[in-house]
Amino acid sequence: MTTEVGRSSIRSDGVTKTTGKAIFGTDVILPGMLHARLLRSTVPAGRIVALDLSRVAEFPGVHGVLTAADIPNQRSGLVLMDAPLFASEFVRFEGEPIAAVVAETRTIANQALALASLEIEEIPSVGSIEEAIAPNAPLVHPDWESFATPPGLDWPRSGNIVAETCSDPDGVDEAFAGATIVVEDQFEAGRQYQAYMEPRMAVAEFDGQRFTIHVAHQFPYNVRDRVAAAIGVHPSEIRVVGHHIGGGFGAKLDTGLEPYAALLARRFGRPVRLANDRSEDLLTCQCRDNAVIKIRTAIGQNGELLARDVDVLMDSGASATDIPFLASIPMHVFGSLYRIGPVRIRTRAVYTNTAPTGAFRGVNGTHLYFALERHMDHIANRLDIDRLEYRRSNLQPDGSKLPTGQVLDDAGILSEAFDAVEQLASWTELGQGPNRGVGIAACMWLTNPMPGSATLKLNSDGSLGVLTAATENGSGAIATGVRQIAAEEFGLPADKVVVTMPDTDAAAFDAGSQGSRTTHIVGRAVREAAIEVRAQILDTAANMLEAAPEDLELANEMVSVSGSPSKQVSLAEVAATAQASSGPISGTGSYTTPMPPINPTCASGLLFPGFPTPTYHVHVAEVEIDPTTGIVRVLRYLVAQEVGKAINPQAVRGQIQGGVAQGLGYALWETLQIDAGRYSQRTLEAYGLPLATDIPEVEIVLLEHPDPAGPYGAKGVAEPPIIPVAAAIGNAVEHAIGKSVDTIPITAERVLEALSGS
Amino acid sequence: MRIKLTVNARDVSVEAPPTETLLTTLRERLQLTGTKEACVEGECGACTVLVNGLPVDSCIYATAAADGLSITTVEGLGGPDGSLSPLQQSFVDHFAIQCGFCTPGLLVTLSALLKANPNPDRGEIESAIAGNLCRCTGYTQIVEAVEAMNQETVS
Repeated sequence: MTTEVGRSSIRSDGVTKTTGKAIFGTDVILPGMLHARLLRSTVPAGRIVALDLSRVAEFPGVHGVLTAADIPNQRSGLVLMDAPLFASEFVRFEGEPIAAVVAETRTIANQALALASLEIEEIPSVGSIEEAIAPNAPLVHPDWESFATPPGLDWPRSGNIVAETCSDPDGVDEAFAGATIVVEDQFEAGRQYQAYMEPRMAVAEFDGQRFTIHVAHQFPYNVRDRVAAAIGVHPSEIRVVGHHIGGGFGAKLDTGLEPYAALLARRFGRPVRLANDRSEDLLTCQCRDNAVIKIRTAIGQNGELLARDVDVLMDSGASATDIPFLASIPMHVFGSLYRIGPVRIRTRAVYTNTAPTGAFRGVNGTHLYFALERHMDHIANRLDIDRLEYRRSNLQPDGSKLPTGQVLDDAGILSEAFDAVEQLASWTELGQGPNRGVGIAACMWLTNPMPGSATLKLNSDGSLGVLTAATENGSGAIATGVRQIAAEEFGLPADKVVVTMPDTDAAAFDAGSQGSRTTHIVGRAVREAAIEVRAQILDTAANMLEAAPEDLELANEMVSVSGSPSKQVSLAEVAATAQASSGPISGTGSYTTPMPPINPTCASGLLFPGFPTPTYHVHVAEVEIDPTTGIVRVLRYLVAQEVGKAINPQAVRGQIQGGVAQGLGYALWETLQIDAGRYSQRTLEAYGLPLATDIPEVEIVLLEHPDPAGPYGAKGVAEPPIIPVAAAIGNAVEHAIGKSVDTIPITAERVLEALSGS
Repeated sequence: MRIKLTVNARDVSVEAPPTETLLTTLRERLQLTGTKEACVEGECGACTVLVNGLPVDSCIYATAAADGLSITTVEGLGGPDGSLSPLQQSFVDHFAIQCGFCTPGLLVTLSALLKANPNPDRGEIESAIAGNLCRCTGYTQIVEAVEAMNQETVS
């Protein structure tokens, strides 16, 4: 019997978020709190010729300044130690921090910072991927060879190539030599800003022994470890306290402002708040990387996919962040979905004099599946076969193998997703009429396997506490999913379950809200903890009811004797009895997904080691093009998504509607224009996010193939909805205008350009 | 300068420079942090408050210009007993909230819409909130939360 799982229970944070009482990171105010601002580079590449902060430091209300001269010259990073806290001799991207000022108020800090005397001599910059790999290109980091890697971990890198991943299986050249036709494409993708509504911030305090850092962050434990490495203290000297997060979408997984706030709090002896204004947030955010993808496929005489050759270039910006790992994502994408022979893949991530890029919902999948699925349309068109029919006739069956060697036991689910979108609207009836088109695109994506934990305590009033360092980033994974799973375990209504906010001093490690993992991983950890808690409940109740534990049933907040429903005690009575006799009832569970076996020698370079708990999805877009303006209007948008089990259907729907909206922004409008290393846009208005009037209601079918390892079968939900959107839109636009637009975003200008082309 | 305001039906008096924005006054002097700062250019609507019943972007509205006027923030939308307004309750019930950072501004904007037009259709709702950016929801469940109120009013 289930009471909570599968029900659209309302969010635990719904009321405080509607009354304005929810405290976000930016709302944290501490007694005696000072305000800091950063002095940032105004150019993409240059040598600091002069820096004089004496007038800043002397400004009334200023407590002091900090520069590279004040701290150990220490570089740190997620996988490559290439990022200094403050630039010293050279600046490598616009917005790179050079100094910090701390003052009584933010206004004073800003006024003082305007008095800084900073002279930077511009040097030749690397403004694009093409410039980075050009012969004799200037090096973004002439000292790249000196950058440390974690012990035992290194990968091919050289000059402006910060990471290279190559896979070259046998038979590719032979297949191309014997191909009936070869289809070749080149696609490009722009840089997308996460544009969460709450700019990044941090508040730090230092009590003489330990730091407390208040954050609105997706991954508090990473803040702890990254700050410790950056400022040279032990992780146990840092406590990270999480508050409500005003959106993150991947950009709040790495550290940003926290190390500066911590250093300033220690140096000046007062709590320090450091928050980005919107322009500096946009300038320095770890955006979705821009990329160039070349793809060639050898086709046999019956249209079969004989082999493929892919070359990916991705822009890492001025430091590596997590990009060396992400350079292996093409290994998981370009041999997925459709039956294919050997696939050769080379991915190079390059340094440029732009802000470092990083994780954004559906990392890389958005542009890699754009390339794969746009390319599939081009193959079908060349073969003069209907694009849907061609896909269906080449679908991978259960047990198919990826280029990594990973076996997809359930790949056949994709076929059901194709069936499901057809139920929503007929493929042959969509996209009919002048200037209209229809596009279809699929994807396979992982559920992030990284570890998490939960401790459950049954309170003496019969309510349940869940202690975890997992974060509620807005998705509802904590505010609904984990809470409902915990309630389900004990027959409680969800409103009798309280899940704590993250605190690294209190809860065990959690890998943060990333990769659609929270409901799956932390939900499973809750179920593990519940085994222990349930045993304690039944043992106590057995004594109270004078029955054997195995004869007891736990439902509707009561423990009763099977077959004798009148013999029962409430959970509250059980909890109170245990507390007074054997001690309070509590238990802890942990979980991390076992990785699927892969062939570790399938590629050189760092390998993201598998796509565990995969899910399968199909999107269909119907568009109408205004041939005069080039504007693309989305008429209908259909999604068939595999979720394992929808713990909360309305919350799942919110992830799909919101993910598609971000995907439409990416596909049609959003991009940071980079001109000689500088962003052309500085504001949300110039960047241009989708508005309520731009986004259609997404029509959704959920497929449920419960994962035996997932809590009640749940798999990851939040990332897949953004992934195939650009591909589906691109395919629909080409269907409508008969011309291929190969660059994301597919702006009105690019559509007009395609229409006016030959 | 000394500025007198009525904020959420309470009279207050603040001493603030003439350039200070209403957003700064509300958040930093009156500690009403429900109103959010997200762009400070009048683009995103997260800082929306009502000035004499009309929605304004408080990040680009001088406090001095509100002297003698009545301000309503998200904290003033519910009942004096802490109860939710029907619009707030509908947001909770219809999953109109994800991260919640844009929610205060949306609620304020929509409360003004509903006062002027108690039964807006979908197009009117979407137009009314076209100045409120939401990065999480894709807007549909927000629109539905307002539509559901229509039905509840009708039935």
